[in-house]
Amino acid sequence: MINRWLWPILVGVFFAVAAWQVTMAIIPRTLMTLAISRVAQGGSLNRMVHGPLVTAKSRAIVRPSPDLLYSSCPFDVSRGPVLIDVAPIEAPYWSLAIFDSETNVAFVRNNLQTGGKPIHAAIALAGQAIPAGYQPVRVAGNRGAALVRVLVNRLAPIDEIDAERRQSSCRVAR
Amino acid sequence: MKAWVRLLLCGLVGAAIGAGGAVSSVRSASLGMQTMIGPWATGRDFGSAEASPYTRAVVALRGLLALPATEARYYTAITDDTGAPLEGRCSYRVEGGALPARWWSLTLYDPAGYLVENTPNIYSIGSVSLPLSELARWKLAIAPGQQPGHWLPTGGIDRFHLTLRAYLPADRGRTDFTAQQLPRITKGACA
Repeated sequence: MINRWLWPILVGVFFAVAAWQVTMAIIPRTLMTLAISRVAQGGSLNRMVHGPLVTAKSRAIVRPSPDLLYSSCPFDVSRGPVLIDVAPIEAPYWSLAIFDSETNVAFVRNNLQTGGKPIHAAIALAGQAIPAGYQPVRVAGNRGAALVRVLVNRLAPIDEIDAERRQSSCRVAR
Repeated sequence: MKAWVRLLLCGLVGAAIGAGGAVSSVRSASLGMQTMIGPWATGRDFGSAEASPYTRAVVALRGLLALPATEARYYTAITDDTGAPLEGRCSYRVEGGALPARWWSLTLYDPAGYLVENTPNIYSIGSVSLPLSELARWKLAIAPGQQPGHWLPTGGIDRFHLTLRAYLPADRGRTDFTAQQLPRITKGACA
């Protein structure tokens, strides 16, 4: 009896371990794809979407910060590098972070590091040519998301900060 | 039962247990479970290529697009200082002081990671909105009903989580905040 089930049980254990590993690897990529789809509903790929302050009704991403204004660009570099231009914003803190399809941070830069100057970043696959004046950000997969975070005081007017962050853009290089 | 049927059956059951176990494990995890400091859970490899597959999966579910430790540290509490779950029908006193970071905020979420509906639309409290005179020593009330002073509404939900964000930590996020630096969470009365 034991001999008849020994190999099947070992096969079962092998598949259990393999399924665990594969599932763990799939979860981040799947959730990133879903997040890109959700964000892209507000516009399209390779375009900066300037979201309003988050509320209890916001469902685009989990654990959004209510103290930040988010501008996001779900990108696809399969047709060429995607250029991100972030204009300086008169806020205590702002940053640009670029996430690849595996949810890794490929690039992050904040206003203190730039000294209040703009950021010009080109998201590209290995081998893609980068336009002059842009800092290359090499990513592993075609898709990902660029996120501009701007710190605001929800109790104060944010019109000026909102207007400044809307000057940031995202586009495919021509 | 034929041998190939036994192999197929055990293979399918094993795969189901492995995949289901992985999903269940990730769903039951909190953001940043590598280190516990009192009720606060934190981790340092969010958004990093060095993160383990498990950490990467938990971050993707609980805090997708989180920043690396050099930029921000995230501390999450799902219990009070005694280890009891945070309940939306109860009141809590949260007390803290200055944190070694450029700015910080404390946000209340439901267990799924979304902001909680409440009439005055108060979702967080932080160093940007607090008066300068209170930054070295601050306190707030978390409760379903309005409280004097600083108040974070629970909306009366069953359970809630707290996330403390500390942006631009003083040592580029290399070390964790100490128990003395992190806010204390004390339970009060329940409705």
